[in-house]
Amino acid sequence: MNNIIVVNVLRFVGLLLLQGLVFKNIGVGWESFPYLHIIVFPVFILLLPLRTPKTLVIFLAFVLGLSVDFLYDTLGVHASAAVFTGFIRSFLLRVFEPRGGYNMTYSPTIARMGLGWFVQYAAILMFAHIFFYFSVEAFTFVYIADILIKTIVSFLASMVFVMIFQLLLNPLE
Amino acid sequence: MFNLVQLLIKLSGFLLFVLLEAICFSLVVRYNSDQEKIYTNTVNNFTGYLQQKSTTANRYFQLYDENKRLAKENAKLLDRLASVGVNVQNPLDTAWADTLQPLYTFLEAEVIRNSINQNHNYITLNKGSKDGVRPHSGLVTEDGVVGIVRKVSPNYSVAMSVLHRQVVVNARVRHKHYFGPMTWKSDNIHIFNLDNIPKDAPVTKGDTIETSGYSTMFPPGIALGVVDKMWMDPGSNFFTIEVRSFAKLSNLQHAYIVRNIFKEEREQLEQSVISEDE
Repeated sequence: MNNIIVVNVLRFVGLLLLQGLVFKNIGVGWESFPYLHIIVFPVFILLLPLRTPKTLVIFLAFVLGLSVDFLYDTLGVHASAAVFTGFIRSFLLRVFEPRGGYNMTYSPTIARMGLGWFVQYAAILMFAHIFFYFSVEAFTFVYIADILIKTIVSFLASMVFVMIFQLLLNPLE
Repeated sequence: MFNLVQLLIKLSGFLLFVLLEAICFSLVVRYNSDQEKIYTNTVNNFTGYLQQKSTTANRYFQLYDENKRLAKENAKLLDRLASVGVNVQNPLDTAWADTLQPLYTFLEAEVIRNSINQNHNYITLNKGSKDGVRPHSGLVTEDGVVGIVRKVSPNYSVAMSVLHRQVVVNARVRHKHYFGPMTWKSDNIHIFNLDNIPKDAPVTKGDTIETSGYSTMFPPGIALGVVDKMWMDPGSNFFTIEVRSFAKLSNLQHAYIVRNIFKEEREQLEQSVISEDE
């Protein structure tokens, strides 16, 4: 029990620093190709334990998103995407529920749920998150083509990093 | 109540989502300049659109007042037309020449100088011989006779006001055809004297006095005033009649100069008869 909390607190801090201090520079510094942002912090939302109340998921997503915003100096933009991701997580989990139901003590990790399940689950949530993020960043659907290009490129790049970390660390919780 | 609480618990995720998104969006708009610009622009467009719609609707609701105003203006214009045109339309005033022109024509002129406090008052008008004004033309308004043109320069003309001791207007009693000269003898700019009405004439107080048309200056039938007082001096065969004039000389701004197409022909004929007898 305590183990799960510690793991999630560490993941929160680790992803926040990784996103805000490392990947921020890749996104912003790569001026020749501004379509690419690498966004990995939603992994925290993805991996919250299955028994976490959905209101708590949304709230924690909000706190993490806002923290990232402070580092990015884009107050509200990442937070709104994170809140959206947190909100749809419970629906997605219901859709992907295995025949036997979830073991509610688990977290939705590769080790617990299998690689195929996790890739689908992570891909949908990451795509939703990144699409929402770029929509809020543009703040208008006039440039929907730009939004979609940015979303697809950034989604692919981000997914690569998410999967590398998951396979390397392969966390149980 | 319990159901409501249950519903709220069930919807808590959604409600929290909406609340936090609202907070996020307010933060986005407040602290990100690009998004703020888009937001204010959109809001402005939207309120502008609403304002336009409401203005259109308001205009529609004001149509009733607008209609009333236009009707009033129409009536005023019709009145004006009638007061000018009555002389043209009256068959008495109209002799049809080969050119199919009416006997009398009217030229609108602006009063640029006027006086009412002298014994001999004059009116200066902004139309002159260039415009076809000739001396001894009548000067009328919608209300009645105001003077007679005395001298004409290319651009201006000076008329003797009816408030001039030597001006005589040939007048008659409407429908009764008794006629006489109307002159200004009193000190009151509204009171004129009508003479030569025989004592057996059935004239009563309140009868309308109009131009007779015996002179070439004024078409017949222009109202001059109403009989205000009438009495018989002892030993006289004529009434002494005081006429209250319709003409408003104290605030005169526009007047119509009367032109009689056959003025010269008629005057020559009359003059030749008089000179034959002398």
